[in-house]
Amino acid sequence: MFGLMAAICAVGISLPPRATAQVSLVDFNALKETVQKLSEQVQSLQQTNVIQQQTHEKDMEQLQRLQEKLAETQQIATNAEQKSIAAAQAQPLSREPIDEATVNHNFQILGDAEFQYVKAAGQHGAFSLADFAPIFLYRGGDNILFEAGFDTTIQNNAPASGGYTTTFNLSFAQLDYVMNDYMTLCAGELLIPLGTYAERGAGWLNKIPDDPLAVDALLPGSGVGAELRGGIPVGDAGKFFNYSVYLANGPSSADGTGNAEALDLGGNVGVRSDDTVANLHGNPSLGGRLGVFMPFKPHYDLELGISSQSGEWDNAGNHLWTAGVFDAALHLGPSFEAKGEFIVTRFGSDDLGQISQQGWWVQAGYKLAGLNLEIPVINNLELVGRYDSLHNAYDSANNAFDFNTQRYTAGFIYYITNTLLFEGDYEFLHSTDPSQVGQLILQLSYGF
Amino acid sequence: MHSIFMKRQNLILWGAAALVVACLSGSGLTPVQAQPTSNTDSSSSTNSVAVAAKAPDAKPAAVKTQLTGAELYSMHCNRCHPERYPTERTAAQWKTIMLHMQIRANIPVEQSKLILQYLQDNSGR
Repeated sequence: MFGLMAAICAVGISLPPRATAQVSLVDFNALKETVQKLSEQVQSLQQTNVIQQQTHEKDMEQLQRLQEKLAETQQIATNAEQKSIAAAQAQPLSREPIDEATVNHNFQILGDAEFQYVKAAGQHGAFSLADFAPIFLYRGGDNILFEAGFDTTIQNNAPASGGYTTTFNLSFAQLDYVMNDYMTLCAGELLIPLGTYAERGAGWLNKIPDDPLAVDALLPGSGVGAELRGGIPVGDAGKFFNYSVYLANGPSSADGTGNAEALDLGGNVGVRSDDTVANLHGNPSLGGRLGVFMPFKPHYDLELGISSQSGEWDNAGNHLWTAGVFDAALHLGPSFEAKGEFIVTRFGSDDLGQISQQGWWVQAGYKLAGLNLEIPVINNLELVGRYDSLHNAYDSANNAFDFNTQRYTAGFIYYITNTLLFEGDYEFLHSTDPSQVGQLILQLSYGF
Repeated sequence: MHSIFMKRQNLILWGAAALVVACLSGSGLTPVQAQPTSNTDSSSSTNSVAVAAKAPDAKPAAVKTQLTGAELYSMHCNRCHPERYPTERTAAQWKTIMLHMQIRANIPVEQSKLILQYLQDNSGR
């Protein structure tokens, strides 16, 4: 535009005055009109330019505002990410409790229930057991737990009398206080850690419906007393030592004498039938277990333990009852397990002198899912077997004798669910005790 | 005859004690070790297995392991009973149950806490 004006001016300047005189009026008007049009175009272009500049300025302002908003958004996103990382580091993946009360106090009912059918050799088969064994847990805070287990069963009344009797036994009832990471104090009716069966194998936990012979015949399952226990880790690979040390009233005499047949493993709970609170003999028994757990990788591990208990048992305090147990458990993969215990007991008596009894059992199980056959029924099956040996001084009627019993058990577990189990076992038995016979046991058990 | 039997019992008990003592001293058995891996960039690993620095003599790298709660859960719980699914209980319920199991099975507290964290992270509520 300015070039055009400059050209016009240049043309005007370059024209000689004489030539101006020679321009006609018509030409002059035409030229004037042209100049006016050009002037109008120049003005129009100037106006357009102003509008474009204003638009450009507005665009720039809007762009600046957008950049500011973008910066704010980026800052917010950065802050949120930093807060998220900080929160995750402070409490990784934790869930908020449902409410505050359940954090400090919580009551739980666990346990198991069993139903059995038994066909003993030479006897009629029968549905023999309906057992309900709840465990009540009450947690107060992080370090205090009260736990009690009950065993409720039914049995026929005495021969020649009708009806049945419901028995309700307190299996254990103990108050636990976690003193620190390595020591817990337990007091009450304790499951005695002679071996591990009493604490970890009873009820539906065991893979075979009934207990090993030696466990039932030779060891007290529970006792009233106080105990210190805990686990001490070694390294980061899962290995640890565990220990239990306890004082319990211990076995006692059923009739107060020191005769061998009066030995009572399960009594002496501290309160006598005449409401007198006293130990039936002078001093409590001292016992303990030391174990070591050695994992090689998940599902591959070995645990070994040795435990013992000793204390006087007759009222006069003349005789000691002593027990020693060696226990072992082996897992080779998620499908194979083997465990067992060797048990020795010894006690003095007035009438028979020193009496020694011993027994051992070893049990193995293999889950067929380990064969990877991808067959649903097979995958839910576990084959189990057990060998029992017992050398005891009494038969089931408490008659003094020397008995040797060997029992072979073969069976299966069908896992209907992970907690509902159908078990079947047959026990082949060889014994010098005529009351011991082989039997078939079918059991439906549920852990809850 | 009786004394021979008692001597055999003593022998068995002393033998068992010696075995436990041997285990306590760490002889004869190897603790858990993760399989050595060719990937030496530990930062790229998503689990907690850490790879130790290579020794100057270029021997196979020693492997230090820190088991996760899930691994400890599968290691301990299945020893005594069929595994229970974390979704079967709430976070608060697992806290009570794990305290019970920690005491019953003498599980070290630090391992028990890792198992509890795993169960609560995957709990029903």
